[in-house]
Parts: sequence; C-alpha cells; structure tokens
Amino acid sequence: MKIQELMSTEVASVRPDASLRQAARKMSELGVGTLLVLENDELLGIITDRDISVHAVAMGRDANWTDVKTVMTTDVVTCFNDQEISDAAQVMEEQHIRRLTVLNHDNKLAGLLSVDDLARGSHDLAGAVLEAATPLH
Amino acid sequence: MKIYEIMSSKVISTTPDETTKEAARKMHDLHVGSLPVIDDGKLVGIITDRDICCRVVATGRDAVMTKVSEAMGTTVVTCFDDQDITEAADIMAENHIRRLAVLTRKHAVAGFVSVDDLARGSHELASTVLEAATPAH
Repeated sequence: MKIQELMSTEVASVRPDASLRQAARKMSELGVGTLLVLENDELLGIITDRDISVHAVAMGRDANWTDVKTVMTTDVVTCFNDQEISDAAQVMEEQHIRRLTVLNHDNKLAGLLSVDDLARGSHDLAGAVLEAATPLH
Repeated sequence: MKIYEIMSSKVISTTPDETTKEAARKMHDLHVGSLPVIDDGKLVGIITDRDICCRVVATGRDAVMTKVSEAMGTTVVTCFDDQDITEAADIMAENHIRRLAVLTRKHAVAGFVSVDDLARGSHELASTVLEAATPAH
C-alpha cells in the first residue's frame, strides 16, 4: 500500500512570524496538535502543542511576544507520497517519531502521515512504530 | 496479560494549586505529556501539554498566574491494575482516548497505561485504539 492512500491531505499551517498565541488558537480551533510552518509555500518547520508548552511556557516565554520560528522544529522528517507504507513505518521507527511530512516528487508538500493513519493500513506496522516511539506519558 | 504488567508506575504528579508554568516545566524536565493532579491523596484531574497550549496560551492567559485547576481535565477515565489489557483497550476505544489512569482496588493511583504500553503487549490491541482515537494531527 502507498503512503498517499493513507495520508491526510488537509494540513493546517502557520507563518513563521505568527505569535505562539495565534498558533495555539489555531490548534485549538481546528482540533489539531501540529501545524506546518510555511512561508511562500516553502516548508520551514513544524510546531506542535507540546512545543508551545515545554519550549515556551515552561521556560517563561511570553506567548504573545514569542514567534513560531523561535520554538518550531526545523528538522522535518519527510517521505514521498508514492513510497510504500512499510518504508514510512521504518523511518518512524528509526527516528522514534509518530508522524512524517509527505512530499511529492517536485518536493512540494503533499500531506501528513501519522501512526493513526498507518493503523488503518496495518495494525502490525502501527504497533511497531508505537513500540519504538519516544514515550508519551 | 494484566494491566500492571505493562503500565508505567513511576508517575510524577502535580497539585491543583501549582501554576501551569510549573506543570509545563515538569513535563519538559520529565519528558512526559501529562500529569495526574492529586489533591489530598485523591486523583482530581489530569493536565496535558495540550491543555496548557489550548486552555492557557490560546486564550491569552498568563501561565504564571493560571493554576493547574483552571486548565486541567476533570473527567479522568480509569481502569484497575488487575484487569486484562484487552479491557484497557476496550475502554480507550470506547472513549476515543490513548491513555488511562490505573487504580488499585483500594482506589489509590497505581500508574498510567498508554497506547504505547499496549503496543508492547499487543500490536493488534494498540492499533484498534489508534483507529478509534480522536485524530492527533
């Protein structure tokens, strides 16, 4: 099965100079935990609800005056939409992560693939990814 | 397999009066995403990194002035440590969640069991939980 059959193509994004408060409100309103950071269609990074809590709030940074690019992760792990889902699972396992950014062969953003999406394709692949992931507790 | 065989029993807690900034700092230092809220030996809620993002930052509140009790979730879904892991998976799937608080039969907090822990017992059970869960994207 190919990654494009399972990935989510509706991906929410935010600009790098948005405030963390704006990013948090977007996550809250859209019911998502991850936003891609885009500028002129170029993928600069990824920011999660956890990044906002543990890299900004925990450090005493003011969310109104701290921008997204200050706390976003710039090492975005990617895969291609026409790869096999077993390849995606292997990358997630090796990197101890639960989510990959999916690109097409023009290197344009195509979607996101999470371990939840994987579970709809293969229980065994998703289970292996969870076992390898950094704990969530 | 019983829940106590796979659960995490080293659980660090917070109190209702602690600030959300202090709670975020604990989540950062301990590499966890949620803390049980204990008041006078009783479990009164759970606070997650997402709660701090969506209920404090998104609404423009100051985390130093906002107490854990103002941002925590008070509906805590629990199970008992001597139940079978299939029962834990059923409870998670029915409630569309990925984590349960584990109690002893004397109603003391024994730990947490997450979908990651389930994956170490059964890939099949863990994936069923992921398929039922509220999307994490």
